[in-house]
Amino acid sequence: MKRRDFILATSAAAGALMLPKMSLCRRRPHRLVHEFSDSNILDFWANTVKPKFEAANPGTTINLVDAGDSAGVQSIAQRALAAMQTSTDPQADYFEAADPLLPLDAIEAGLYVNMKEAGLSNYDKVNPLAINSDYSLPYRGSQVLLAYDTTKLAPADVPKNWDDLVSWIMANPGQFIYNRPDKGGSGGNFVRRAIHQVNGLDPSAFTVDNYTEEFGDEALGKAWKVLGDLAPALYDGGAYTSGNTQSIQLLAQGVVTMVPVWSDQVLQAIDEGVLPDTTGLVQLQDLALVGGFSRSVVLANGTNKEASLKLADFLLTEEIQSAVLTEPWRFSRRVLGLYFCGSA
Amino acid sequence: MSEVSGAANTRPLLEKAESGRPFGLLLVAMPVFLVGWLVIWPIISAVFRTVWHRDSQGNYGFDLSTYVFFFSDKYSLDNLSITLWTTGVCAFLLLLVCLPIALYLRFSEGRLPAYVQGLAIFPMFVPSIILSYAFIRVLGPNGMVDLLLNAVGLPKIRTPYLTPWGPVIGLVWDNIPLTVLILLSGLGNVANQSIEAARDVGAKRFQVLWHIILPRISNSILVALSFSVLGIFSAFTLPYVLGPAAPEMMGPFMQRTFRDLNDPLSAITQAVVTFSFCIVFGLFYVRSVARNQGK
Repeated sequence: MKRRDFILATSAAAGALMLPKMSLCRRRPHRLVHEFSDSNILDFWANTVKPKFEAANPGTTINLVDAGDSAGVQSIAQRALAAMQTSTDPQADYFEAADPLLPLDAIEAGLYVNMKEAGLSNYDKVNPLAINSDYSLPYRGSQVLLAYDTTKLAPADVPKNWDDLVSWIMANPGQFIYNRPDKGGSGGNFVRRAIHQVNGLDPSAFTVDNYTEEFGDEALGKAWKVLGDLAPALYDGGAYTSGNTQSIQLLAQGVVTMVPVWSDQVLQAIDEGVLPDTTGLVQLQDLALVGGFSRSVVLANGTNKEASLKLADFLLTEEIQSAVLTEPWRFSRRVLGLYFCGSA
Repeated sequence: MSEVSGAANTRPLLEKAESGRPFGLLLVAMPVFLVGWLVIWPIISAVFRTVWHRDSQGNYGFDLSTYVFFFSDKYSLDNLSITLWTTGVCAFLLLLVCLPIALYLRFSEGRLPAYVQGLAIFPMFVPSIILSYAFIRVLGPNGMVDLLLNAVGLPKIRTPYLTPWGPVIGLVWDNIPLTVLILLSGLGNVANQSIEAARDVGAKRFQVLWHIILPRISNSILVALSFSVLGIFSAFTLPYVLGPAAPEMMGPFMQRTFRDLNDPLSAITQAVVTFSFCIVFGLFYVRSVARNQGK
């Protein structure tokens, strides 16, 4: 068998800052596995997935490439779509996390493999609630939690629903901050939670199909008031950090008492001592901050499609799924991975 | 015939120069080609694409709507003015910080100035992303400065992190080496004799600086400032990490418009506007270089 190369792409929180690195990787005209996520996911792929998959499939090599961020993956997907029209090598095989609805009409053009019909032996193990498209494969999940400093806020007094959270923020001005939504998902999901709050706590009200401009403007517009009212009580009278990591840093420096965080990142931060053991984690009980799944897609015109599907199937094996649960984040009880339990 | 051979005999130098010409042109061809391909052509293409594009009806034509939008949109104008403000403040602070360092390095001898020079050049070797995080640790809220102040019973500082002063401090620090080096090379042109002569006729320190040194290095100051201004105007990392969420500098603004809003046309318009400001400083630099070569 021909030696196969994959390239996987990931990014750090400030993905855009890694542009130079990304372009260097592009110079290698190879088959790629692209990813966008924080750097801990790249570590997980490099240290766990890659060696295990290569050991299980002798002669196959995974080549990991960092695509920067979701926009970086998108630009590669657009090029793959263009390559499809000219029947050339897209130089990419596998996206660790991407939305198959993008670029527009990619599914109609046949750019992505239908995972449901791809004959993956482990496909039926996927939690059906995590599936939002036949063309992507959810293989790990992470939720957004609120991390707080237990030395300043006793666990008994921690707000456990949205209204309590808002009144706590108002009563403790300067003690809460979230990042700008376009710079990281922890702040993004906080904003999403505010949108859910003003729309009857029903995330299922928002689907791709029911979107109209009026509905979007009306439903999303209502959240501006909630967020605008909060702004003066945020850190520094309405400052926003520039990413997931920077929020954790402000919590670590004891500047603020509470920040929204990705579960995987905060556990790693506690594990590595970036955050002290006195850090508490809480999830809202009325409706959780949503978080999300990472859904992999396979390019139908990738030169290593077969190996890519083998990799997709491999990700669903117990070996990798238990690694997703334990290895990078040591979060066995509260959960990442496919068997997502919802609250912490 | 005789005329030709006569000319050849009497003008051997010219012939030599002529035969060398293609080789000389070949040497500059590569840089000229690269500048044309990677700089000039994208500029022409960007300007063209922003004035000649598809309108809302789908017809191609001359259309300045993206510029009209940029110059009527408060958010865009705020971003432009914060960029101009940051650039101006940085340029002023750079001169204030770097001129004394350069003067000290030029006019003192011994081991200490060597260390000072090493320290002044040091920021050149620190990547801006590392600088950003170091900045948060030191000048950020509850950072090292706050800890030191607290240890001696002083109140905390008002941290510049996430305010427009954050990028200013970072950018000034980042641009010190280049500015100091250029000013230092300019100060190399100031002859010791002229300063001694001025002192002999009774000039005070400030008079020496004002009447003898500054006129000699005004060109270098201009070059140093246009270099750093060009870099600061389009800075990305430091304003992205250290600056406020809004308004943002043109670098992060363009990047966000292009990638997050999927609006390349507006991003190119912002780039053309940014470029128009930068070209003014570029012209200062080109002019001063040309003037120098003319001497």
